[in-house]
Amino acid sequence: MPNPGSAVPHPAPDQHLGLLAPVDLAKLASLAVRARTIVEGALAGAHRNLHPGTSLEFTEHKEYAPGDDVRRIDWKAVARTDRYSIKRFEDETELRMLLVLDTSASMGYRRSSVSKLEYATYLAAALAYLVGQQRDAAGLFAFDSEPRAVLPPSTRPGQVREVLAALEGLRPAGRANPGRALERAAELCDKRGLIVLFSDLLDMEDEVVGETAAGPLAERLRQLRGRGHDVSLFHVLDADEVDLPFEDLTFFEGMEPDDKRSLLAEPHDLAPAFREESALFRRRWQTLAREARMEYRFARTDTPPVEILAPYLAERAGSV
Amino acid sequence: MRFLAPVLLLALVAAALPYLIHRVGKRRAVPVRFAAMQLLLRSERRVHARRRLREILLLVARTAAAASLPLVFARPFCERATDLPVVTLDAQAAVLILDDSASMQRRCGVGTCFAKAKARALALARQFPLDSELALLLASAGAEARIGELEAERARIVEAIEGTTCSARPADFTAAMRQAALLLAGANRALHRVYLFTDGQATGWEDGTGLPPASAPEVIIDDVTGGAPLPNRAILDARVQPTAESGPGGIAITVDIADYTQQSAPALGVTLRVDGAAVAQGAVELPAGGRARKRFLHAFPGEGGGSHDLVVSIEADAFPPDDRRTLHVEMARTLRVLAIDGDPRTIRNEDESFFFETAIKSGIPGALVTNKLADDVSPDGLSSYTVVALLNVAEPAPALAAALERFVMAGGGLFISMGDRVNAMVWNQRMARLLPQPLGLLRTAAALPGQRAGETLDERPAERLLPLDRRTPLLSVFPEEGGGLLGARFFKYVLLDPVRDTARRSVLLRFESGAPALVEGELGKGRVLLLTTTVDREWTDLPIRPGFLPLLREIARYLVGATDQQSAVALLVGEPSLLSFRADLQTLEIRRPDGSVWIAKREPDGNVHNVAFTGTDQIGLYRVRGASADGVFVEQPSQDFAVNLDPRESDPARLAPERRPDRLAAARVGAKPSKHRVELWHALSAVLLFLVLAESLLTLRRRRASALASGRSAK
Repeated sequence: MPNPGSAVPHPAPDQHLGLLAPVDLAKLASLAVRARTIVEGALAGAHRNLHPGTSLEFTEHKEYAPGDDVRRIDWKAVARTDRYSIKRFEDETELRMLLVLDTSASMGYRRSSVSKLEYATYLAAALAYLVGQQRDAAGLFAFDSEPRAVLPPSTRPGQVREVLAALEGLRPAGRANPGRALERAAELCDKRGLIVLFSDLLDMEDEVVGETAAGPLAERLRQLRGRGHDVSLFHVLDADEVDLPFEDLTFFEGMEPDDKRSLLAEPHDLAPAFREESALFRRRWQTLAREARMEYRFARTDTPPVEILAPYLAERAGSV
Repeated sequence: MRFLAPVLLLALVAAALPYLIHRVGKRRAVPVRFAAMQLLLRSERRVHARRRLREILLLVARTAAAASLPLVFARPFCERATDLPVVTLDAQAAVLILDDSASMQRRCGVGTCFAKAKARALALARQFPLDSELALLLASAGAEARIGELEAERARIVEAIEGTTCSARPADFTAAMRQAALLLAGANRALHRVYLFTDGQATGWEDGTGLPPASAPEVIIDDVTGGAPLPNRAILDARVQPTAESGPGGIAITVDIADYTQQSAPALGVTLRVDGAAVAQGAVELPAGGRARKRFLHAFPGEGGGSHDLVVSIEADAFPPDDRRTLHVEMARTLRVLAIDGDPRTIRNEDESFFFETAIKSGIPGALVTNKLADDVSPDGLSSYTVVALLNVAEPAPALAAALERFVMAGGGLFISMGDRVNAMVWNQRMARLLPQPLGLLRTAAALPGQRAGETLDERPAERLLPLDRRTPLLSVFPEEGGGLLGARFFKYVLLDPVRDTARRSVLLRFESGAPALVEGELGKGRVLLLTTTVDREWTDLPIRPGFLPLLREIARYLVGATDQQSAVALLVGEPSLLSFRADLQTLEIRRPDGSVWIAKREPDGNVHNVAFTGTDQIGLYRVRGASADGVFVEQPSQDFAVNLDPRESDPARLAPERRPDRLAAARVGAKPSKHRVELWHALSAVLLFLVLAESLLTLRRRRASALASGRSAK
């Protein structure tokens, strides 16, 4: 159990750790440490909760966890139990967060930084760690064409460790089938919860028409949103997939199984058009998120994860 | 297409290099397993067409450049059939002769034969191998060589050909060929050839080929007409004669017309224009290949005096220069002479006026001579005469002297002859302004003049005349040997006193002693001629000499201001025109038909003389103006003249094959058509240069795009 005293609003022991570049972060021993490092960096000097409630109908006490608003500590309960507790109200029931990770082969792309999957696991681990710290339920659903890791959201002790272990064991392979995967994921969330999807979203669109992303994944996300789930979309892309900074004549091949696509090209010939296409691609998913009132975050794998996570958390806290 | 160095074509395999490099480059492409193939392929679709086109262009440019390099070194050429002589393909010393004679102005298809000849000469000059030596001559009579020495610089030859114009002169191929042979005799090259571009006319070959009998250069005649017939109708001659048929001032114009078309013309139109206006039109029946004559009569209004331009023309054909002929006619005023006899005799042949009147009437048809005694002359009646002659008049009355002075000032002519009755003192007083020089003592010859062949021996002492100065207009009609003047003997004559002002008088004839025999003076618009001896046989036997009549005739003409009574001055192209300075003229200006001006200045000694104008190489009218010392030019219509085409140029008869100097070449007729080699490496080099430039531009553009892309990525 974490020491409440050390978890109360204190600056992190070394808040610069959270600003580590992904490659440097990868050098840290375990995913748990990485997750904590990110979380500490993200929450340095602030208290954030992923799901703050506002209601007068008291339901239960909850042990204080970093990120909880200190103003909501029930000092009376502290006096009775010698533990830092905060009150929970009707709307502030347990957060059920399901981390959904795309582990298709394309997520394994890397050149100078960490792979997209690794980067996604950093973010997911950090969120899982944070939710675990808040005694909320965290679950994991990793998929490619088939589910690869399924951990329904739970608050039981050891859940976060299992999630982290599962995340650490993920390897990119196969071809993504996000429609089916999200359907299974939705089944795991019988109550309304927070579904956080980490994916490069490549090859998940039908033919590009209009300004909004379309296809099975987009439809499934809209359905999830329609069922009352809170959906966050972390769009993870490598820097190469944004700028195409290759110089020599290159023979490009698809990464996923049975992907026969290939192209021999002078990258500098293509780069301007590619940059436009990449921006358009991101903008379509961003538009979809806005239309469906989902949270959209673009994550470049050469960006310190904390720079992605901190504003995310801040915004969610601010939306109270 | 053929090649001078075909072995170098083996290097054409190099053309495959760009493609191979392209293929190898593809193999050396860095393989990358890339996730965002979806974006990549969409980008590719956007730039595919442009990129593909650029790649193809680049590959084509590089392949073509690699292929054209060995092609250039292999010296490609093609051969195309040409009607130019094939012999130009050898290195040689060659003289090009361009026929610029008048006949080349004939229309040959679209342009003239000369334009065609020039074009062919240009093509030929460009065709010669670069190590050939060329010269350029012209075939018209008297033409200067355009390039008078063998020249290796092709541009000079080409420039000279382009700058040559067709003349109106007749052809003289003999002279041109002779000059060509001389040039080639000193040439270094083994091959000596003469190329003649002509219409094949026989005119100009009259004096032979002009080539040496031994070691003559090979001659190639390029007949620009292709042997086609050269039909022509021409005015060969036009003459003007005075005639009484059409009254005073009447003339007859006779026109000779020839047909060279072999087609008769039953009514060929002939037109006469006088001073620009068509005054008569007629028709003549011209037989095929024959000749016809047309005669026009024309009368000038009034007395007809003055200058007139006449043009006779026939219907125009393919050779216009001989379809018209121009004449300049100088019509003298009707000569009315008043002979004042100062020593009338009852025996007619002892009377001075007898010899004078007879000579004038015989020498000048139509001249009217009135004889009067000095006392019978009315001073007011002089204006009805053009010339007054004072023959041995003792003492001109003061009134007569004054009237004569007015008469001469107004343009009249005064002739004075001496005799026993002349009172020199009175003359010098009353006629001082009219006499060119004051009269002096009477001189009697003291020595025997010697006997000439055929002469009757005469024992009387006498003097003869000094040789004539034929540059004097009055004496220009006399032959060099004197024409019957130099044989005349003079027993007595009047000496003349010296004068300070000699500008207004000229001594035209002198005795052997140096004393003046005939002196000219000017007063106002008129002239005075003083003969220091008699016009009868008293002091001289001149009146019975053959030169007496032409001398008095020329004196009368000279006094009325005309050197000829009715002269139709028409020269042929190239013939010199003899122009004379009047006593007061210092400069003569001749304006040619094309407007160019030629100026002659009197020689510093101031003597009256003639000048020969040789620039008569244009057809048409030449106008003459004269300027006195004050520099004011005055028209001299009496000296105007016309120049016409040499009628030999009208005859289109071709040079007979046996007279052609190109028998060798002619023998080759029927051989396979010659071919002209066109070297292509120049054009290929240009293509190569263009390809390299295009490749550089494409590569540069690609590199710029690459640098731009890298810069954006770095940002």
